[in-house]
Amino acid sequence: MKPDKPSIKKLYALSTEGHKFSFSLPLKNVIRVNGRDYNIELREDEKYGIHILWKNRRYPVEIVRTKQNRYEILFNDIGHIFTVETPISMQRKKVLGAGRSKSGTLTVRAPMPGKIIDVLVRENAEVIKGEALVILEAMKMQNEIQSVVSGRVTRVGVKAGQNVMKDDMLAEITVK
Amino acid sequence: MDINGKYFKSFLEREEAFRKQYSAERIRKQHSKGKLTAHERIALLFDSGTFEEIDAYVTPSDQGVEFGKVDLAYGDGVVTGHGMIDGRLVFAFAQDFTIMGGSLGIVHARKIAKVQEMALKMGAPFIGINDSGGARIQEGIASLNGYAVIFNNIIQSSGIIPQISVIMGPAAGGAVYAPALTDWVFMTSHTSYMFVTGPNVVREVLNEEITSEDLGGAEVHARNSGVANMIYEDEENTIIAVRKFLSYLPSNNLENPPVSASQNDTPDFNPKLRDIVPDDPNKAYDVRDIINNLVDRNSFFETSELFAPNMITGFGRMEGRTIGIVANQPKVLAGVLDIDSSTKGARFIRFCDAFNIPILTLEDVPGFLPGKDQEHSGIIRHGAKLLFAYAEASVPRITVILRKAYGGAYIVMNSKGMGGDFNFAWPSAEIAVMGPDGAVAILYRRELAESKDPAALKKELVKKYREKVANPFIADEKGYIDEVIDPAQTRRKLLSAFSALSNKSVKVPSRKHGNMPL
Repeated sequence: MKPDKPSIKKLYALSTEGHKFSFSLPLKNVIRVNGRDYNIELREDEKYGIHILWKNRRYPVEIVRTKQNRYEILFNDIGHIFTVETPISMQRKKVLGAGRSKSGTLTVRAPMPGKIIDVLVRENAEVIKGEALVILEAMKMQNEIQSVVSGRVTRVGVKAGQNVMKDDMLAEITVK
Repeated sequence: MDINGKYFKSFLEREEAFRKQYSAERIRKQHSKGKLTAHERIALLFDSGTFEEIDAYVTPSDQGVEFGKVDLAYGDGVVTGHGMIDGRLVFAFAQDFTIMGGSLGIVHARKIAKVQEMALKMGAPFIGINDSGGARIQEGIASLNGYAVIFNNIIQSSGIIPQISVIMGPAAGGAVYAPALTDWVFMTSHTSYMFVTGPNVVREVLNEEITSEDLGGAEVHARNSGVANMIYEDEENTIIAVRKFLSYLPSNNLENPPVSASQNDTPDFNPKLRDIVPDDPNKAYDVRDIINNLVDRNSFFETSELFAPNMITGFGRMEGRTIGIVANQPKVLAGVLDIDSSTKGARFIRFCDAFNIPILTLEDVPGFLPGKDQEHSGIIRHGAKLLFAYAEASVPRITVILRKAYGGAYIVMNSKGMGGDFNFAWPSAEIAVMGPDGAVAILYRRELAESKDPAALKKELVKKYREKVANPFIADEKGYIDEVIDPAQTRRKLLSAFSALSNKSVKVPSRKHGNMPL
């Protein structure tokens, strides 16, 4: 049983890279991307699992992880992250998003004491959310320290081989 | 409507007045903040048409009239009642910010207390949706006492019925302790705040400028303080998540969790599991990849995802039955045990134990995090919480050692001696008092000092140590592990072990309560 809700005819999928796709409910075999309609078919069978059929070719789809309206999928072995939004939630996102532009500088700090094994970014490099910045060896393990935002690296504070203490500055990133 | 005469007429008039108090203007104002009204939230939370409101027509107390009386407000700023979620009885309240800012007066408090007591008697889960300006100042001490009664009710029901708080607006001052006392806290990003003292007081007392969101927003509480267990981007998703979350839990401590009939196509024999743990012990991996291959497809519901991510906790299902999962996460801080991860794990285990949810522990832990910071902040007493929680848990407890299991951390993570019912190990397991490097440095200190090529000797000794000592076979042969298993067989082994343990019963000695190192 579902709570009373106005029936939703249209849904959006927003990717973390900022792409927006719209599709209708119930699902049809047409998807609109950048104003063009594509005829695709979503299928699931024993032999191939979930896949998309387009122009008689199969493209495998795997849902890696879901959390509420957030989907991590593997499509053609490339990972994508989407959130599914209704027209109402899209509207609210706009309202809430206004006046909350996340510009500014973010300092990435060492989460624990250790040794820097490798620095993977240079100053002025563009990084995306989730990209590894440095490899920190601690507790005899190599830990990837990832960027939590997308932006440009404005400062790198460490060199390979250097020992760091907890909360030492590793890099500074200016948020786009 | 003539048959009932004037009595029925006044009944209808009252209904009309009730409807009118939720004017379009009030609703619009609430919506403009990205929030839903109390009734809309309730409608989303419960199965359609099942919610029955109680005390909808109560009016505010007339205390503090000299400060200006509020207009006629039916309900006193809170909606209370009961309904069905997935066909199961649940009691709830939802504070209504559109009526006097959802402030808590004595009548408001009595309404909440009434449904709390009903939930306890009926053995049904209790959900509180918080969106309130705080205590109603006009009503003074009566309002404060109202909070006290609500807190007391939560504490008396703790461990008997699951209690969930949903924060969808401000919760400030004493009000924050109601959610803090419940089992789980859900928050909605950007529109909810929790703090004991707000930004204004912080500015006056400490001269520090801080926004409500930076001080006590959802993100802060999910990531830093650990107060919020689950956060979502908007209210619809938050409420849908609460509904889903409840499906893992029993209605009370005397029942078992509901068995889900959902499809399950996770293979019992899965060679994929052999390839997830890297051969190089210094390389990390995501333990959630293992979890997802063990539980029923898409059934893993991670709790407290952002807080202490070096320890993963969450619920999953195996053949439809709920289990609680505690796993070290090698991908974050090497999966080390520290203060936050110990308390996170301990609280999760306590909840599982209270509500008859078997616990699966997946272990790959290099040890406790060393350093002044941790020692001075009390890792000893916080780590002890995890030990206490495990040993006291009388639900079925199974451990699978995936890789590292060293020293004190091995003991803590539900080892055999701590009362683990079944302890399995993968062939990649390393079980020892300490890691090979540390052990060799101590055991062969003299030999290494006297050696001409200490580096080469050390390397050789480390290799020998890893082969001879740090493996699961010795533990297996001495009986500290029940079985070394093929990773591909793990799900099958777990299913049969949990099934064997399904009637587990432990006689606990009579005592008022143990003295957990809080």
